[in-house]
Amino acid sequence: MTNILLIIFVISLVHMGLSKRLNTYTSVLAFQGILLFGVAFIELIQINVPNLLFVLLETIGFKTIAIPYFLNYLIRRNKITRESDPFLPDFISVVIVTSIIICSFLLSNAIRDTHIQKILFVAALSALFTGLYFIISRKKIITHVMGFLVIENGVFVLSLAVGAEMPLLVNIGILLDIFASVFLLGVFVNKIGDVLQEQDVDQLRNLKD
Amino acid sequence: MGILNYLLIAGASLVFPGIIIRTKSLLSGRKGPGIFQPLRDVWRLLRKGAVYSETTSFIFQIAPTVYFASVLMAIAMIPFGSRGGLISFPGDFVFFAYVLALGKFFMIIAALDTGSSFEGMGASREALYSLLAEPAFFILMGSFALLTGHTSFREIFGSLHFGSSISYAIGVLAAFVITLTALIENSRMPIDDPKTHLELTMVHEVMILDNSGFDLGLILQTGHLKFAMYGGLIANFFLTPGSELRYSIGIFLVIQGLFAVTIGVIESFMARFRMNHNPQYIFTLTSMSLLIFLGVLLLLGKIV
Amino acid sequence: MPIAGGRWKGYIAVAAVLANGVVSSGIAIRALAGRVFEERFNAGPILGELSIGVDALSGWFILLTNFTLLTGIVYGIRYLRPYEGNHARLGSHYCCYILNHVAMLGIFSIRHMLGFLCAWEIMTLSAFLMVIFDHGKMEVVKAGVSFFIQAHLSFIFLTVAFIWVRAHTGSYDLAAVSSYLSGAHPALGFLLFLLFFAGFGIKAGFVPFHTWLPYAHPAAPAHISGIMSGVLIKLGIFGILRIILLARGGYLLIGYTILVVSIVSGVYGVILAIVQHNLKRLLAYHSIENIGIIGIGIGLGCIGLGLKNTWLAFAGFGGALLHTLNHALFKSLLFYAAGTVYQGTHTMDIERLGGLVKRLPHTAVLFLVGSLAICGLPPFNGFISEFLIYSGLFHGMAANLETSTILLLAAVAGLALIGGLAMLCFTKAFGIIFLGSERHPLPEPLKEDIPRLFPGYLTVALIVAIGLLPTFFLRLAAPAIDLFTSGPGGRMPAGGEQASGAVIPFMVTLQTISTCTVSLLLVALTVFLIKKKLATRPGVRSSTWGCGYVAPSARLQYTANSFVRPLRKLIRPLLMMNKSEGVIEGIFPPGPIRSDTHPYDKLEAVLIDRPLRMLRRFLGGFRFLQNGSIPAYVLYGVVFIVLILVAPILADAVTYLFGLFKQV
Repeated sequence: MTNILLIIFVISLVHMGLSKRLNTYTSVLAFQGILLFGVAFIELIQINVPNLLFVLLETIGFKTIAIPYFLNYLIRRNKITRESDPFLPDFISVVIVTSIIICSFLLSNAIRDTHIQKILFVAALSALFTGLYFIISRKKIITHVMGFLVIENGVFVLSLAVGAEMPLLVNIGILLDIFASVFLLGVFVNKIGDVLQEQDVDQLRNLKD
Repeated sequence: MGILNYLLIAGASLVFPGIIIRTKSLLSGRKGPGIFQPLRDVWRLLRKGAVYSETTSFIFQIAPTVYFASVLMAIAMIPFGSRGGLISFPGDFVFFAYVLALGKFFMIIAALDTGSSFEGMGASREALYSLLAEPAFFILMGSFALLTGHTSFREIFGSLHFGSSISYAIGVLAAFVITLTALIENSRMPIDDPKTHLELTMVHEVMILDNSGFDLGLILQTGHLKFAMYGGLIANFFLTPGSELRYSIGIFLVIQGLFAVTIGVIESFMARFRMNHNPQYIFTLTSMSLLIFLGVLLLLGKIV
Repeated sequence: MPIAGGRWKGYIAVAAVLANGVVSSGIAIRALAGRVFEERFNAGPILGELSIGVDALSGWFILLTNFTLLTGIVYGIRYLRPYEGNHARLGSHYCCYILNHVAMLGIFSIRHMLGFLCAWEIMTLSAFLMVIFDHGKMEVVKAGVSFFIQAHLSFIFLTVAFIWVRAHTGSYDLAAVSSYLSGAHPALGFLLFLLFFAGFGIKAGFVPFHTWLPYAHPAAPAHISGIMSGVLIKLGIFGILRIILLARGGYLLIGYTILVVSIVSGVYGVILAIVQHNLKRLLAYHSIENIGIIGIGIGLGCIGLGLKNTWLAFAGFGGALLHTLNHALFKSLLFYAAGTVYQGTHTMDIERLGGLVKRLPHTAVLFLVGSLAICGLPPFNGFISEFLIYSGLFHGMAANLETSTILLLAAVAGLALIGGLAMLCFTKAFGIIFLGSERHPLPEPLKEDIPRLFPGYLTVALIVAIGLLPTFFLRLAAPAIDLFTSGPGGRMPAGGEQASGAVIPFMVTLQTISTCTVSLLLVALTVFLIKKKLATRPGVRSSTWGCGYVAPSARLQYTANSFVRPLRKLIRPLLMMNKSEGVIEGIFPPGPIRSDTHPYDKLEAVLIDRPLRMLRRFLGGFRFLQNGSIPAYVLYGVVFIVLILVAPILADAVTYLFGLFKQV
């Protein structure tokens, strides 16, 4: 069952590389939250109620509901246009995401550790590099945060890959990262958005001294 | 045994387009034409005279014939569960793909033969989409060859069985890829709208704008046959090997009907993608086939 | 030669080529039947003992060379008819043609390193002289010179490799290569193989060694382009195959390298071919693509040898050898048709042509058959060889061997992509040139030249024969393939699959395919006859439906550029498009404004142009030395003499000083 969910996860990454609208990005992030909940639920061996509640909160609560809502709020408030402007044309994006998946597969084959389940590793690496690719190739600032969130999803899957139990520290670390990035972005976009009219990364360069 | 499959697919092709149109009409709230109406249209066209343009040459007159013959040949290779098609040999899916490509080649140059800019537009798009969809089919067949250890349609579908969950995932994904390929090849939504009347947005219909009479009837019927052919291919995923004949035929007909209804539903509820976006979506098929291949590698536990 | 008139020169040339061809074909057919021809004779004190041998592999190549060269010269004497007044040029051209033929036969049979290099050089020189036949034009000369230089680059690589072997083994015979490779370290052996591959690869046209091909082919006259694409390039393939036969191990690594380079060549070649608008340059890039396909077959065969799997080896080498023959046939056919088009319309630009099917119907049919064959569509011969390679690749995946399945899958995806792209390219080429209506008025009334069609139809007959009766030709090539799969010295261990076990299923499959293709033709014919019977009313002629537009013109048609534009937009990062546009000023611009787009090869810009520029800049620094005044040159001579006299004294002084310093 996890295999099916992870395959759908990887397909959602391709879909994210393909689409041009910011709404699609947020809905794919929400969908990935649901998938990750399914995977975590099946993978965790010892489900005691506090742990389960925590996982539920983290995946469904934050990844699916809270953060996409917050991102949509930001988009609406700052009147960011719907399109995401990439540096590279869309076709190349799909090709690059596909080659990222192939390369992560080849990389995961080079690791000869029997404790790791291969498919989790492949999905994690793909999400990691795809998230990095989003950050590199998009112009808008808000898509940077979305790429970062995809990286966080990848780290989540990776933590499942290296052990069936999830140490609480890893979880808290992930949550902290998410919080920090999203809140910083919120502050950033609210305050600086008043000064810089366009949400373009190039404008950030003017800030250097 | 193979001839039964052939007749089944030919029979389904007579009814298939009618079901699609009926579904679309019912979903729009109309009653719609009868199920056999497209068949009557083809029959009427076959008896009409033809008008040929002065710009065209002998290519225009032989192209629909070659297209029809190529699809007839291709249908002969579709298997029926573990009972093979009329023709079966190792590597027959390569022949299948290339025979269909022969038909497409002639249709494209027939479109260029008329010297009209509309048809050139359609020809260029058709060439591009079919070229992007081909690697997906071959990678899919390669992964099946890897999974089952055989290289002909009949043997692959005969020995395909779904045990673990990952093989179910692969099966569903493969059926999805073949469905999308069928939609692309027949120029249906969401790649192309068969009901659009703007030549700037057509792909397949604009290539046949100048055909008339017997040729047009042949081309329309070939389109129906192609639908039924892909439906037959998809039905193979659901035919368990070794079951009795009447169950197989029943499942086959049900799957064909479901396929037609699904296409009707998709066409009624989805808008067409932007024309500039189509290549990306078609390339996504190749990505999905690659995922299937990687899944098979994982299933077999093979490293690279 | 100087004694005969223009037309007679041509006939003498044909007779000479025919005589050469018959003699060598006789030997070749006997070699293919199993009786290898071997001769040794003493060739003087320098060369030592020269051995000449024709085995099955050479036999196969000799047969295809003879056929292509024969059709080439028969077409050529009609093609060169406008130049009949120029006796000297014609005479030297025909001489070079015969010399080229003999040199190629020599390359296929000489087993002696220096002799091989001599034959190679003669082939290069004669080919160069033939290419610059039209040397009044500057770009022809430039293209010829670029071909000449790159051919000599390949010569250098080969010479270095041969010197290496000679230095280690002391023998000039080609068999010494194999004895060296069996004893040497695998890494060194692979390096030697890379040297050979570079040398032969430049000749064959693998990427990134391909840059001479797209210049030399348009510059040469049509029949020379045809034999260059058909045969000259295959010399590189022959060399690579010969080296593989002489190798003694390390097949897997060789196979992987060749496979990767070939996949890149194939896809890159066809992508660049699509955006070209010069017909001959388009065909030249397609030659690169087909060399890629042949290379995929060779790579697959090597992988089969490495894994000791006879099926893979048979499929790979069989597909490669058959595709060599097929490519020679349909590429020469396409070039002949292109030559006829050029001589009729005086332009090679596709965008200016159109509707030629009504003026040149036979040439259109020849081009159509060539296009269908090159796309690998049944029922012609291209499909057979591609099918063999596909069979091998899929079998390699299905049999779950210990090889890189992803690489095999990449080869399958690459072949599928190449097929699709080739279809796009040739529908464009055939459709824009021959179909539709004329885009620009033709300069003179156009008529079909009947004697020119004879070699074309002969080639078509052979193409259709291979397509419909593939088993016959595969059986003909089987001895050559057997050289690889069951080599001397027990390369296949007794436990491996027997050669006959692999051949027979292939024959059965190919027999089924030929039945299918014949039935396809019969079905098409039947439907056509039914149509003729049912359509009782004759077809009415009218103008093309223009959606109600009342002033149709030929310029409304789709152009070649627009046909490939969707693809060109997708692969923009791979190409370098030079666009020059006129500037539009005002609302009603005064005259016609032009916008030109020219494709340029990015690899060529990086690999050739940039180093050339740097080299020129570096050497330009020394330009002050060439100031043209005689006293300066005499001064250089004096400086040189002084240096020679003084150098030993200086060297002694320096060593003496070093000795002093050491003692301190």
